[in-house]
Amino acid sequence: MPVTAGVRNSPYDLGMTAAVQDQPGAGRGAAPVVRNVCGMDTTVYAPGSSSPAVRARSLTKTYGKGEATVRALDGVDVDFEQGRFTAIMGPSGSGKSTLMHLLAGLDSATSGQAFLGSTEITGLNDKALTRLRRDRVGFVFQQFNLLPMFTAEQNITLPVELAGGTADKAWFDTLVDTLGLAGRLTHRPGELSGGQQQRVAIARALIAQPDVVFADEPTGNLDSRSGAEVLSFLRRSVRELGRTIIMVTHDPSAAAYADRAVLIADGRIAGDISDPTPESAMAGLDALRTLEPSVATAPGTGV
Amino acid sequence: MASSFPTARLTLAQMRRSVGRLTAAGVAILISTAFVTVTLLAGSVIQGTTHDMIAAQYAQADAVVSIPGDDGESTFADADIEAVAAVDGVEAVQPLTAWYGDLRNGGKGGYQLFTPVPEDPRLSPLELTDGTWPAADEVALTPELAERLEVGLGDEVSVKRTIYPEGWTTSQAEDREAELGEPEEITESLTVTGLADDPYGAYTTFGGAAAVPAAALQTWSAAEDSQEQVTELLVALDEPLSGTTVPAALDQAVQAATSGVEGVSVQTTEAVAAAKAAEKTGGQDLVFLVFVMTFAAIALLIAAMVITNTFQVIIAQRTRALALLRCIGAGTGQLYRSVLLEAAILGAVASAVGILTGALLAQAALLVAPSFDLGVPIPATIALTWQSIVLPLVVGTVVTVLAALAPARSATRVAPLAALRPSDAPTLRARSGRTRLVVSLLALVGGFALLGLGVFLGMNDTPQFGLLAAVGGGAVAFFGVVLSAVLWLPRVAAGLGALVGRTGPASRLAVANTLRNPRRTAATSTALLIGVTLVTMMSTGAASARMSADNLLDETYPYDVSVSSSSPEYVEDLRDALAGTDGVGATVLVTNGSVTLDGAKDTSVVGTDPQDLAAVVNVPEEAKRLTEGSILLTQETADTMSVGAGDEVALSGGNGSVDLDVVITGAGPLNRVVTTTDLDRVTDEETWTDIWAKISGADVTAVLGDVQDAVAQVDGEAFVMGPAAEAAQFGQVVDVILGIVVGLLAVAVVIALIGVTNTLSLSVIERTRESATLRAIGLSKKQLRGMLAVEGVLIAGVGAILGIVLGLIFGWAGAATALSLMGDVRYAVPWTDIAVVVVIALVAGLLASVLPARAAARTSPVAALGVE
Ligand SMILES: Nc1ncnc2c1ncn2[C@@H]1O[C@H](COP(=O)(O)OP(=O)(O)O)[C@@H](O)[C@H]1O
Ligand SMILES: [Mg+2]
Repeated sequence: MPVTAGVRNSPYDLGMTAAVQDQPGAGRGAAPVVRNVCGMDTTVYAPGSSSPAVRARSLTKTYGKGEATVRALDGVDVDFEQGRFTAIMGPSGSGKSTLMHLLAGLDSATSGQAFLGSTEITGLNDKALTRLRRDRVGFVFQQFNLLPMFTAEQNITLPVELAGGTADKAWFDTLVDTLGLAGRLTHRPGELSGGQQQRVAIARALIAQPDVVFADEPTGNLDSRSGAEVLSFLRRSVRELGRTIIMVTHDPSAAAYADRAVLIADGRIAGDISDPTPESAMAGLDALRTLEPSVATAPGTGV
Repeated sequence: MASSFPTARLTLAQMRRSVGRLTAAGVAILISTAFVTVTLLAGSVIQGTTHDMIAAQYAQADAVVSIPGDDGESTFADADIEAVAAVDGVEAVQPLTAWYGDLRNGGKGGYQLFTPVPEDPRLSPLELTDGTWPAADEVALTPELAERLEVGLGDEVSVKRTIYPEGWTTSQAEDREAELGEPEEITESLTVTGLADDPYGAYTTFGGAAAVPAAALQTWSAAEDSQEQVTELLVALDEPLSGTTVPAALDQAVQAATSGVEGVSVQTTEAVAAAKAAEKTGGQDLVFLVFVMTFAAIALLIAAMVITNTFQVIIAQRTRALALLRCIGAGTGQLYRSVLLEAAILGAVASAVGILTGALLAQAALLVAPSFDLGVPIPATIALTWQSIVLPLVVGTVVTVLAALAPARSATRVAPLAALRPSDAPTLRARSGRTRLVVSLLALVGGFALLGLGVFLGMNDTPQFGLLAAVGGGAVAFFGVVLSAVLWLPRVAAGLGALVGRTGPASRLAVANTLRNPRRTAATSTALLIGVTLVTMMSTGAASARMSADNLLDETYPYDVSVSSSSPEYVEDLRDALAGTDGVGATVLVTNGSVTLDGAKDTSVVGTDPQDLAAVVNVPEEAKRLTEGSILLTQETADTMSVGAGDEVALSGGNGSVDLDVVITGAGPLNRVVTTTDLDRVTDEETWTDIWAKISGADVTAVLGDVQDAVAQVDGEAFVMGPAAEAAQFGQVVDVILGIVVGLLAVAVVIALIGVTNTLSLSVIERTRESATLRAIGLSKKQLRGMLAVEGVLIAGVGAILGIVLGLIFGWAGAATALSLMGDVRYAVPWTDIAVVVVIALVAGLLASVLPARAAARTSPVAALGVE
C-alpha cells in the first residue's frame, strides 16, 4: 500500500538556510548502496549484506511488573551496516531510546540478544560493558553533556584519557578540522553555543575511533540552523571519515540526512526507508500514525 | 504582603523533597546540641555530687546550729553545746569537729582525719558495720582506711602527735619554748575495735576517717598549737522536723541557749547543705562549665559552617524551582522567610533529637561510671532540668537559623529569568569579594602583628600582657584566615591537586571537580581547618611545654634523684640503700665545701669523682672533662672571675691550697666542680655530702617511691629530691589536660568531617547527569568511586594540612609567650599527633566518599540520556 500522504511542513522546514537546503536527498546521487527492501517484507534486515556493525535479535525490554508492565521493545530484529548513517525514527514513546540503550550496552535487555560486531553485548557484565563503551562505542546526547569544568579540547580527549591512553594527534586534528572547532578548543562549554557544544560532543564520541556512534536526538536542543549543521557534520563523519553512526530521532527532516531510516512503532520495527527524504520520512511517520502497527510495516520505501 | 501561609506550605513541600540532604545537615546540629546537653547535665551531676558530699557530713541531723561567716574567732564553747542539748525537744547535739594526725601501722599510713564517735547515730555519716565503737585508747576505722593500713579488728595502730605546753596558744612570750618548755612529740598505741562504713562518701575525699571517743578527740585538740573553731552543731530532735523550716519556738530556744555567741542561725540540714553547695559550685565548677562550654561553642560554630554550606548547596540546586516561583509571583521576602522557616524547623527538630541523644549518653555514662573507682558517690540517674532542655533547644535552633541567613539571602537573589535558562550546572553568583578581602587582610595583618607583639612581650618577661595580646591577636588572625579562606584555599587545593592529578584520569576529574566550586570547597575545608588548627595548636603547645620543662629541669638538675643526708656518718649507708634499690642505676657522692676560690671567700665548690659523675649525670661528656688539677666553670662564672680556659685559679681552705686549670663547661649545674682529691687537699670542714643517682627504671615515679622507702630504712633523716619524677609528673598533668582538650575538640572535628560527607553527597546528587555521562563514555564504576575518594581526600587533606601549619604557628607563638618564664623555650613538633590527625583526616575523607560514591555508581548511564 503506497503511502501518499502529503508532506506536512515541519518546523524545521521553515526558514531553512542554504546549509540545510542542499541536504535532503543530496546523498542519493552520490551512489550510496541502495538496498531494495521489498515493500511487503516483514523482515527489515537484509541478509547477505556486508557484516553488520550492530545487530538485534528478538530484543525485548519490559518495564514494571504485573498490570503496569510496559513492553517498550517487543522482539526486535534489526541489522545496522558498517560505514553507514542510520536513523531510528518513530513517534514519541515508540521505544527508540530503549532500543538504542540496549544496542549500546547502557541498559540490560529482558530477553533477546544484541551484538556489536561479533560481540554479544547482552551477556556482558558491567566491567566488560564499561570497556566496550570506552573502546568501541561513542555517544552523542541530546543535552550535549559536556563536563563544565573542562575545556573543549579536554572534553574531546576525555574518553581516551579514561582508557589510560593519549589521543592520536593526527586523528584529533582531522576531527577538529572536520567539525570546525579549531578556534574553540580552549573554551569551556559555558562559553560555547549549543551547536558548538554538540560538535564538541561529536568529536568526543569519535576520538577513540569507535566501531559505532549512537546519537539520541542530537538536534533536540538546537535551533534549526545549528541542528542542520550538526547533522551534516554527522554525515560527513560517515562519508569522509568512514564512521558508523546510528541516530535516534523523531524528526523526519533530521532522518533525511541519514542513508537509511528504520521506523519503529510500539516497540516493533515498522518500516525501513533507504535514502530517506524529508517527504518520504514524513510519509513513513504519518503512515505509522494512521495505520495499525501490523500493517504499518508495509509502507513503500522510496517515494 | 502575602500571608505567611503559602510560605509555610512551600517550605514544607521543599523540605519534603530534600529530607535526605537536610538530615545530613541536621546531624551536625544534633551532635553539637547533644554536646551542650551533656555539658549541662554533667554540670548538674557535679553540683548534685557536691551537694550530696556536703550534705553527707551532716548525716541525718534535723537541724544545724551555726555561726555564719568565718571570722576565725567565734566558737561554740562546751557550755553552749550543753545548753543547746538541754533545749526542749532536742535529743542530741554533736559539734562538727575534726582533728588531723599521723596515723600509722608500721610504715603504712600518714596524715589522717579523726572524727568523734557520734553521740547519736543520726549525727554521724558513719555507720558501724563490724565490732564496737571505740572506748579510750581504741579506734574505729572506715574500711578503706583499714585496708590501706592493712589492719583488722584487734590490731594495733599508732598515732603520733605533738603536745604543746599549756598556755602555748595564748602566750605572748618572745620565746615560748624558753618560758613554757618544749613541745613534746608522743606516739600512742590504739586498738582497732570497729569498722564503720561511710555510705554517703562524706570522708571519701579525706581518704576515709578514724573515729575516737569525743573526749579523746577533745584532749588531742586542746594540746594543739592552735585551737579549732567549732562553728557548727548538729542537732537531732525528739520528733523529726515536718516542714522545710525550723519552728520559731525551737529557733528562739536555741538562740537563748547560745546567747553568749553572736549571730547564731538555726537552719534545717537541707538548707545549710544547699547554701554551702551553691557557694562551692559558684566558683570552681563554674570555671569548669565555662571551660567545657567554650568547646561546645566551637562545635556549634563548626556545625553552623556545615549548615551554611549545606543550605547554600541546597539553594543552588533549587535555583530553577525558586526562579519558577519568582516567575509566578513569589516575592523575595517570601523566599527569604521560607528558607529561614526551613532552617528553624530543621534546627528545632535536630536539637530535640540532640537533646535526647545527649540525655541518653549522659545516663549511659552514669550507668557505667560506678565501675570506675571515682572516689565520689555519683547519682544513678540524670536530673533533667528545664535549663538542660530549653537551652540546647534554643541555642541549636538559633544557630541553625543564623547559619541559614546567608543562604536565604542568596535565595532572594535568584532571578526569575533563571527558570528559562538551561538547568545545567547550578551555580550561585559569587558576591564581590572586595569587602571580604579588605576585612580579612586587616584582620590578618592586625592579628599577626598583635600576636607578634604578644610573643615579644612574653619573651621580655611580661608574659601576662604578652599572653593577652597573643590570644587576642591569634584569635583575630585566625578569623582573618577563616574569612579569607575562600580566596586562597582553592588555590592551595589546586596545587595539591596538581600533584594528585598525575596519578590518572579519575584523579584529574576529581581535582577539576574540587575546583569548580571554590566557595563550597573552601567552606567545607575551613570547617575542618578550624578543628585541626585548634587540636594541633594544643598539642604543639603541650609538647613544647613538656620539652621546655624537661629542658629546664635538665639544666637545673643534672641528676634524676638526689639524697641529702642530715649527718655525714650515714652517707655510705644511704648510698648503699640507694644503689640497692631496683631501677636505680649509677650513684655518685658529691661533697659541697666552702672554700676560697681565686681570692673570693666562702665560695661553694663541689668535689666529686669524675668517673662516677659521668655515669650519673645527663651531660656525661661534660663530666668527663673534669680531671685532677682542674676545675669546671661556666663561661659566665669564668667571666666574672676574669679568667679563661686554661688559666690557673687558686683554691684554698683550712688544709692548704691548690692551683687548678680552668675548664669551661656548657652545663650550668657543673659549675665550680673539682675532683674529691683536690677538695680534700683544701678542706675537710664545713662540708656536706649528697648522693646523686641515675634512674634506669621505666616508671620513674615508682622508682622514686621505692627510693624513699629504702632511704627511710636507714638511720638518720634524709631528704630525697627527684627532678625526674617532677618531670614525669608534669608530663602526666600536661598529657591529661591535653587529652581532655583534644577529646572536647574532637567533637568539632567529627562535625567538620560530617560536613565533608555532606558536601560530597550534595555534589554527587547535583552531578548525577555528569556521572552518568562519564559512565556512558567509559568511566568504570571503580574509577567513579576513585574519583569521589580523591575528592574527599583532597577536601579533607587541604583542611588538615593547612590546619596543622596554622596550629604549629599558633602553638609555637603561644609557647614562646607563655613559657619564656621557664627559661629557654623549646619548639616541639608533635609528630605523632600530627600523623594521627593527618591519617584521621585522610581516612575520614575516604570514608566520607563511600556513601556518595555508592549512590553515584548505582546511577545507570542511561540517566545521561534522559531529558529529565
Ligand atoms: N525507565 C522506564 N520505566 C518505565 N517505563 C519506561 C522507562 N523508560 C521508558 N519507558 C517506557 O517505554 C516506552 C518507550 O520509551 P522510549 O524508548 O523512551 O521512547 P522514545 O525514545 O521512542 O520516545 C514508553 O512507553 C516509556 O513510557
Ligand atoms: Mg527518547
